[in-house]
Amino acid sequence: MLELANICKTFNIGTINEKKALCGVNLRLQEGDFVTVIGGNGAGKSTMLNAIAGVWPVDGGTISINGIDVTGLPEHRRAAYIGRVFQDPMMGTAANMSIEENLAMALRRGKRRTLRWGITKAERERYHDELKKLGLGLEGRMTSKVGLLSGGQRQAITLLMSALQKPRLLLLDEHTAALDPATAAKVLELTDQIVENNKLTALMITHNMTEAIRHGNRLLMMNAGRIILDIAGEEKKNLKKADLLQKFAEVAGVQEETDSVLLS
Amino acid sequence: MKQKIAALFLASFMALSMASCGTSGSSSGSSSAQSQGQSSKAEEEESYTIGICQLVQHEALDAATQGFRDALTEKLGDKVVFDEKNASNDSAVCSVICNQFVSSNVDLIMANATAALQAAQTASNKIPVLGTSVTDYGTALGISDWTGTVGTNVSGTSDLAPLEDQAKMLQEFFPDAKNVGVFYCSAEPNSKYQSKVITEYLTQMGYTCKDYTFSDSNDVQSAITLAASESDVIYLPTDNTVASNTGIIDSVCRPAKVPIIAGEEGICKGTGVATLSISYYDLGYVTGEMAYDILVNGADPSVMPVQYAPNVTKKYNPVICGELGITPPEGYEAIVVE
Amino acid sequence: MDLLAYFSSLNPMNFVTSLPGNIAQGLIWGIMALGVFITFRLLDFADLTVDGSFATGGAVTVVLIVSGVPTPLALVIAVVSGLLAGFATGLLHTLLGIPGILAGILTQISLWSVNLLILGGANRALNVDKYPLIVSLRNIPTSILAALIFSAVLVALLYWYFGTEQGSAIRVTGSNPHMAKAQGINIDIMKVLALSLSNGLVALSGGLMSQYQGFADIKMGQGAIVIGLAAVIIGEVLGDAMIGRRMNFAVRLGFVTLGGVVYYLVIGLVMWLRMPTDLLKLLTAVIVAIFLAVPYLKKKSKSSFAFAQKRSARKHA
Repeated sequence: MLELANICKTFNIGTINEKKALCGVNLRLQEGDFVTVIGGNGAGKSTMLNAIAGVWPVDGGTISINGIDVTGLPEHRRAAYIGRVFQDPMMGTAANMSIEENLAMALRRGKRRTLRWGITKAERERYHDELKKLGLGLEGRMTSKVGLLSGGQRQAITLLMSALQKPRLLLLDEHTAALDPATAAKVLELTDQIVENNKLTALMITHNMTEAIRHGNRLLMMNAGRIILDIAGEEKKNLKKADLLQKFAEVAGVQEETDSVLLS
Repeated sequence: MKQKIAALFLASFMALSMASCGTSGSSSGSSSAQSQGQSSKAEEEESYTIGICQLVQHEALDAATQGFRDALTEKLGDKVVFDEKNASNDSAVCSVICNQFVSSNVDLIMANATAALQAAQTASNKIPVLGTSVTDYGTALGISDWTGTVGTNVSGTSDLAPLEDQAKMLQEFFPDAKNVGVFYCSAEPNSKYQSKVITEYLTQMGYTCKDYTFSDSNDVQSAITLAASESDVIYLPTDNTVASNTGIIDSVCRPAKVPIIAGEEGICKGTGVATLSISYYDLGYVTGEMAYDILVNGADPSVMPVQYAPNVTKKYNPVICGELGITPPEGYEAIVVE
Repeated sequence: MDLLAYFSSLNPMNFVTSLPGNIAQGLIWGIMALGVFITFRLLDFADLTVDGSFATGGAVTVVLIVSGVPTPLALVIAVVSGLLAGFATGLLHTLLGIPGILAGILTQISLWSVNLLILGGANRALNVDKYPLIVSLRNIPTSILAALIFSAVLVALLYWYFGTEQGSAIRVTGSNPHMAKAQGINIDIMKVLALSLSNGLVALSGGLMSQYQGFADIKMGQGAIVIGLAAVIIGEVLGDAMIGRRMNFAVRLGFVTLGGVVYYLVIGLVMWLRMPTDLLKLLTAVIVAIFLAVPYLKKKSKSSFAFAQKRSARKHA
């Protein structure tokens, strides 16, 4: 479903701030994989996601989605294959537009925008049903401007939007980090539901090791722009936090102290 | 409650404007009756209301307006009321002003400068319109076969200085010069016309002429520096923006020792060596006399040709002449420079 | 200064009778305000091209009508010239990465020369006696009607367009460009589209204005962006005050046009007041500022820090 071959990306080449964010990342995702990604700050998790999404072109390597080489496609062209939820709840929705308009935007992701009317009656009914499933009472406020909603509600809508078009790949970039624990839990529950019901392939970045272990069927740990750990299936299910920390220490060595403070 | 107030406001507003539509419609009707019966009505008229639309404030235009007012006040005393408005150099405001004159049914409109004249002419074809400080009426009003008379309710005075005489004056002062730079603002319609005409005369006399233009006051400094560096003499036509920026022009040209022949006295006072001055005050005065003719004697503007400045005086600026070491020839009057 | 003499010299009927003319002019500028609304509010882009494209519309219209082109066709071509101006700004911004405001300024500066070339000088007359014009200072009732029809049709068209998929994509681009990209929208194309559309409207307004006043002048667009923004904001303030939350998009657009009318009423008022003419621009600004401040101050009078302090002092007293 997703293949990353030797991806490299360096920022601010030739300046004092030069940073090798990704160094030879290789990854293969099967269809239906739900992968969690953890790592310290600056490990390259978000960078990898941005590289997949096409926010900027990579310096080296190939990115393929479902066999199609998308390395040369800009973000909006790749969007046909990808659904995204950002860390900042404000980033995923348009505050000045209503809930139904936002959903209508997402439904047409990857399609040409024509002069046909923006929302049809049949669509509205579909949105109503989908919003009802979220259980947040949003289905009765479909014409309200998104800007009036709370962070958690916006994130839930972004999640719904990302899955509306049955994307090949779902990218979740610490999407519960800015939410309070109760809402975060709710959003994670929704994530699981949506991924399972639609049988999506998903990559989820999280700072929370417990979450990382509990959700998904595969876990990646990144450090210094590389994937240093890749655990799947049964082994992942039986992982404990302590195991992770230890494995991390084995592979990363010196960095252990600072990162074990950062990783909760 | 708020909505009711809003609705009431909108409704009364619309009613008011509809009513005034009717009024202004009938007023243009009544003013036509007025102009037809003007000769007989003139004697019954208690007092005349004259609308003055001036494009922008500066010395020459102000002088013209003053001359206009004085002429009429002298002849009519307190039987004349002036409604004087200034558009602050915004041509769209001229339409606002002329609209008000027409809808309040003034007896005559005096339009000071090109945009004002154009707006006035558009605003009414019934109320007499007298223009002043406009150089070329043919171009200003889009008349292709210009005969000297507009032929409608519009007439007035032109500030066209005799350009041939100005060219001769340049030759008198600077017979050995080679390059003449003509410096003006590209946004001024009258300036390009003057440049064209005087360039023809000067080229016949053997000078090489080049245009140096700028788009607005911010560019004057850089443009005049270029002009001064390439010219032996600079000519400034009667350009409103130039007139407002003589200080900057002087600060560049005097140290560079480049003399300037100015199109009118105000400019010459600020930065020129010599000028053939027409007095804008006199021009305004003649316009006032024309207005009196129309209002009281029932003269018909459609047969009144555009008039020119009555007197032309040769003048020089003693301070600048002194500094540049130029002695003016015989027959030139000194301008009083403070 | 004898206040009594001053006030008695003012004739309120003069102001009332001049209302239709001011309304007509305001409606014409209201069309320009619609264009500014698209870039400023929907696209979140401060587009300074309009000072140039307004004059371009006027210049093109006059030159064409004077050469014998039928007036409606001349206006259509004027709109196209505006589209091109907006397109140029869009390309400067998206292809060359020039920041939005600067791209607009560059186009505006270039248009100065272009307009001079079109006009063949600084000014060109459009004599209402010689050519068939849609709007004119000479005939105000017809002008108001024509301008109203234009405004109504444009508001309807814009309401439809921004409800379509493409129009909604433009709105999203202005509201949240990151999200727009993530939803597969090519925001560069959307920006160019919106800029073109906006300047097309502005040029149309310029074309109507040059007919109304009977001439096109190189300076006629100077300050247009300020008037446009003032009209948009006045319209919003009025709309909020009169209708509030329930305002739909079409009504919002209608209020933008109304904002243009209000602005010109203010100018008409200042003219009528016979204040020293140097103060025209200052007074206009002051009156517009009062307009905009009233709803804000009203809101504050109900809830402000000063009140909160007073209430808390009372509790502790």
